[in-house]
Amino acid sequence: MISSLPRETIISIVLFAVAWQIMSYLAPSLGIPAFAIPGLGRIAQSLAKITPLDVAVTLGRVLLSLVVSFVIGLLVAMLMYLSESIEKYLRPMVRILMAVPVVSWILFAVLWFKGVEFRIVFVLVVVCAPVFTVDALDNMREVSRDLKQMIRSFRPTPFQFFHKLMLPAITPGIITSWKITLSLAIRVVTIAELVGAVTGIGHQLSVAQELFSVADVFAWTLVLVVLLFLLEALLVRLETRVLRWRA
Amino acid sequence: MTAASAPIEIAGLRKVFRQTTSGQSITAIDQLSLRIEPGELIAIVGKTGCGKSTLFDLLIGLEHPTAGSITIGGKTPYDDFNAFRGKIATIFQQDRLFPWRSALDNVKLPLELIGIAEDIQHERAMTWLKRLGLEKFANAYPRELSGGMRQRVAIARAFAVQPEILLADESFSALDEVTANELRKTFVELAREFKSTAILITHQLEEAMAVGDRIVVFGKSAALLADVRMADWDRADYALLREAIQNTLQANAPDARLK
Repeated sequence: MISSLPRETIISIVLFAVAWQIMSYLAPSLGIPAFAIPGLGRIAQSLAKITPLDVAVTLGRVLLSLVVSFVIGLLVAMLMYLSESIEKYLRPMVRILMAVPVVSWILFAVLWFKGVEFRIVFVLVVVCAPVFTVDALDNMREVSRDLKQMIRSFRPTPFQFFHKLMLPAITPGIITSWKITLSLAIRVVTIAELVGAVTGIGHQLSVAQELFSVADVFAWTLVLVVLLFLLEALLVRLETRVLRWRA
Repeated sequence: MTAASAPIEIAGLRKVFRQTTSGQSITAIDQLSLRIEPGELIAIVGKTGCGKSTLFDLLIGLEHPTAGSITIGGKTPYDDFNAFRGKIATIFQQDRLFPWRSALDNVKLPLELIGIAEDIQHERAMTWLKRLGLEKFANAYPRELSGGMRQRVAIARAFAVQPEILLADESFSALDEVTANELRKTFVELAREFKSTAILITHQLEEAMAVGDRIVVFGKSAALLADVRMADWDRADYALLREAIQNTLQANAPDARLK
């Protein structure tokens, strides 16, 4: 994996690590507490203590929520595409949902629901589904009029129209949408897990904060970033495979 | 192939579009009446903007007329839309292939839509690709094919559904002359062999003459300027008519009722 990274990326990471290490040496002489900028060795110790179960739990929450968000988002987009009246009613609601800050959703979730898992999935879905809806609808509108006319001339059922034309045609846009919402979901899940969860990366970050362990925060954050990059790499591979007709 | 059994009867057809921006009305077709016999190969020729493509959309059933009607065996392609599933096929100016489907899968598309069994879909699509000389390219994506090859796939797609009525809208005009001639010939051969009613819409008189048993000339708003059987085309007493048709189809010529 590392060998596949561009040389410039590796160099910039190494430079950052060296600068961090220098800062951790200099911190006490600059009046900064030593724990605030731990050395790479201390961070490595924290990384060694990472619990895979918490990573798996967070990953599971993200993937489940994204799948649910995608299904809901796509169905709503299809309804909005099929009916102008539905679109007129739903578009303002979708826009409002997108304008509400994540923190507000977390507070609503805490006040409305008892189950921690449901709260987290709720927050992720309510944040990600509108993104899928807007992206899918925009992509549907951009499908070539010529292709729509061609398939309509063969008189498809509404299901066939979406299945044979619209879904394959919007697949490139859907994959881009997944890349965006994946990054969004990883950031949102962490905040959602800070409130009430007893597992997951967000919970571990909360524990690290209570223990004033910057090394642990750094280690868990690093795990999150790597997790995001790995998932994005998977999506890119999927994209290459699914969209090979474009090569 | 299912031979066409009913004539296409166009009676007092009128189509008016209202422009959304200016609110102005445009009469694309005005009082068109025409009867097309089953199995007939007819070429409709006219200048750009004369209403040919609007007629095409009405025949497919994608537009409703403002007044008048198109009936085929007592049904209209727009009101009885689903009754014509698998009975009408189209070949457009551009191939309109799905870029994410191979040539074979593009030919299979209408067969999937009308619910043909999967093994028959494959067999029939392959038969048509072979017929059009594309069997070696069955698994190629459209981007890997030349313009002529893509249009062949579009022809295979139209014939694979075994339609009673074939509609072709400027289907060969985007191709180079050699390929266009070759595909026109194939189109005519196949339409005759399977006795489908075929309607070719074109702005080129030469193309209309190469394809049609009968040539219909449209003026502005699909005004019927001439309706000539190709068998009569060379008649000595048609010399003036031939000249008038050619003059009318020139870019800036005013419309004149020729017959």
